[in-house]
Amino acid sequence: MTKKSLIITILILCIGLLMIGCPKKKVLREEPSVTREEAAKREEAAKREEATRREEAALKEEAAGREEAAKKELETSLVAKKEPGIEGEVFESKLLKDIRFDYDKYDIRPEDAPILKENAALLKKYSKVKIQIEGHCDERGTNEYNLALGERRANSTKTYILTLGIPSDRISTISYGEEKPVDPGHNEEAWAKNRRAHFIITSK
Amino acid sequence: MMKYLFLFFLIFFIASPFAEARIYLDINAPTLVQIPIILAKWKSLDKTPPPLSEKVYEILANDLTLSGFFKVIDVPRLPHSLQEKDGIPNTLSLQEWISAGGEILLAGETFMEPNGLNFRLKFHLIDLVEQKHIIGKQYEGPLQTLRPAVHRIADEVVLQITGEKGVHNTKIAYAVLQGVGKEIFIADFDGANVKQITQNQSINLSPAWSPDGKKIAFTSYLKRNPDLYLIDVAGKNLQPFSTYPGLNVSPSWSPDGKQIAMMMGMEGKSEIFLIDTNGKNPKKLTKGQGNEASPTWSPDGQQIAFVSDRSGSPQIYIMTRDGSNVHRLTFEGNYNTNPSWSPREDRIAFCARVEGRFDVFAIGSDGSGLRRLTSNPGNNESPCWSPDGRYIAFSSTRKGSSKIFIMNANGFNQRALTPSKGGESSPSWSKRFE
Repeated sequence: MTKKSLIITILILCIGLLMIGCPKKKVLREEPSVTREEAAKREEAAKREEATRREEAALKEEAAGREEAAKKELETSLVAKKEPGIEGEVFESKLLKDIRFDYDKYDIRPEDAPILKENAALLKKYSKVKIQIEGHCDERGTNEYNLALGERRANSTKTYILTLGIPSDRISTISYGEEKPVDPGHNEEAWAKNRRAHFIITSK
Repeated sequence: MMKYLFLFFLIFFIASPFAEARIYLDINAPTLVQIPIILAKWKSLDKTPPPLSEKVYEILANDLTLSGFFKVIDVPRLPHSLQEKDGIPNTLSLQEWISAGGEILLAGETFMEPNGLNFRLKFHLIDLVEQKHIIGKQYEGPLQTLRPAVHRIADEVVLQITGEKGVHNTKIAYAVLQGVGKEIFIADFDGANVKQITQNQSINLSPAWSPDGKKIAFTSYLKRNPDLYLIDVAGKNLQPFSTYPGLNVSPSWSPDGKQIAMMMGMEGKSEIFLIDTNGKNPKKLTKGQGNEASPTWSPDGQQIAFVSDRSGSPQIYIMTRDGSNVHRLTFEGNYNTNPSWSPREDRIAFCARVEGRFDVFAIGSDGSGLRRLTSNPGNNESPCWSPDGRYIAFSSTRKGSSKIFIMNANGFNQRALTPSKGGESSPSWSKRFE
């Protein structure tokens, strides 16, 4: 190798190194010139944003508080229902109201629709609550046919509540026929009370 | 053509209420001819304690009375000269018994082995009119089998006099109100040996004996659903049988014991299903808008009678075991439920509402021969036949709280099963235990 070619090689290498080592051209961004007016506007907007945030937080807090209070309302209304020989811990609440049925009938009476709407509204409010609808009959008639009638009463009540937008996995049904009278009497008054759909809470 | 068909049905349905009134007024149960039978004092042989013979006599006299076929002339009803005559008379002395007014004489003796553990019973049945010996038999066994042995004597007497064995060795299962729940009980035909089968404080309903007499199917709310369970007669080996969501109630075993027809609510309303006795393969038999309830098998296992309110009120229907050929059986009244198909005759007992009360009726499976069997104050419900089809057990509130009653198939001889306080419902009759 000649001296000349060595120099050329070194030069080439140097140029190469220079090219590799050379970072991309630094481009200085031009800062936009900020006027006082704009700065003030921006400050104001930020303040507004902050205020809205606070307001929203407060509203949220309030809503949470309300829900908490309402939860308490449901919570305090719950009465544990102990039933010997029947598995599971369940609750009754005076906020979930019974409906009644005409003799030998299982259709929802028009006057009971508002009750079911109230019950459904409560269920919407407490989206975790699961209920069971019990269908009951009066003592007249045979036990087995009354079990069928109770099944139908529980299910027609469930169907009605489903139409109000409550998902079906939150509602189970059970028929007790004439086996669990709320009034042990043997008269028209007792029978009217016993022909009912009763609501219990199976999960809070 | 359609027009005429419609007219025909219209007339038919309109006409039925009048038919009802006519039949109800026309009902006269045939009189039961009771055969007078003399029960001579039972003899205690050797050192047999007399109370044992008295016990045998008491059970036997009660059995024959309960059968409804006899007018029992027991010791107190005999002329003085015959009251102390005990044991089996020789043929020469039969003449003197005729004065007692009986056509048949039943006489017997008890022997207790000196070890006090085993007994021997011997009886003779004598026709006093013909002055001839009908039959004589002997039973022996350990003392705890004394009652069934005496029942066998009663069954034998019924067989000789009526042509078919009695049902004194049968049992009846039923539900009894206990607190807010119900438990399943069983009792003998004569009301003895009352035993509680379930003890779970739950609501236990509608017991049904298996045809082999070993198991009882019933519904319990133990798991917060009316599930069907099986339990053996000793109250042991409780096993869940059908636990589908909704109703699993009103079981009825097929006569061959291979299937159970029952009410199931898994589709949101009660339908009649058939399920294998392993609890698998529920098959729906009914379809339509009504509530379907209370299936009962025909004795040949080919048909099922049941309740449906598809016409607007509960009525009895019959279908083939595959769910085809559904036809309505009852047209009188607007509440007919609880059918029970006689294992003997082609008759179906059921419960009908009459003027706000409930009574037991029976009707031929072809719709003929409607007959009212009870007409007591109170409600008479849930009829169920004895295995020979000659008796019906039912529940009645005639004495206040509901109690199980038994009557002859023609409605005669109605009596409470046990002297209990009540709260009883849903009787189911076992097969004969030999």
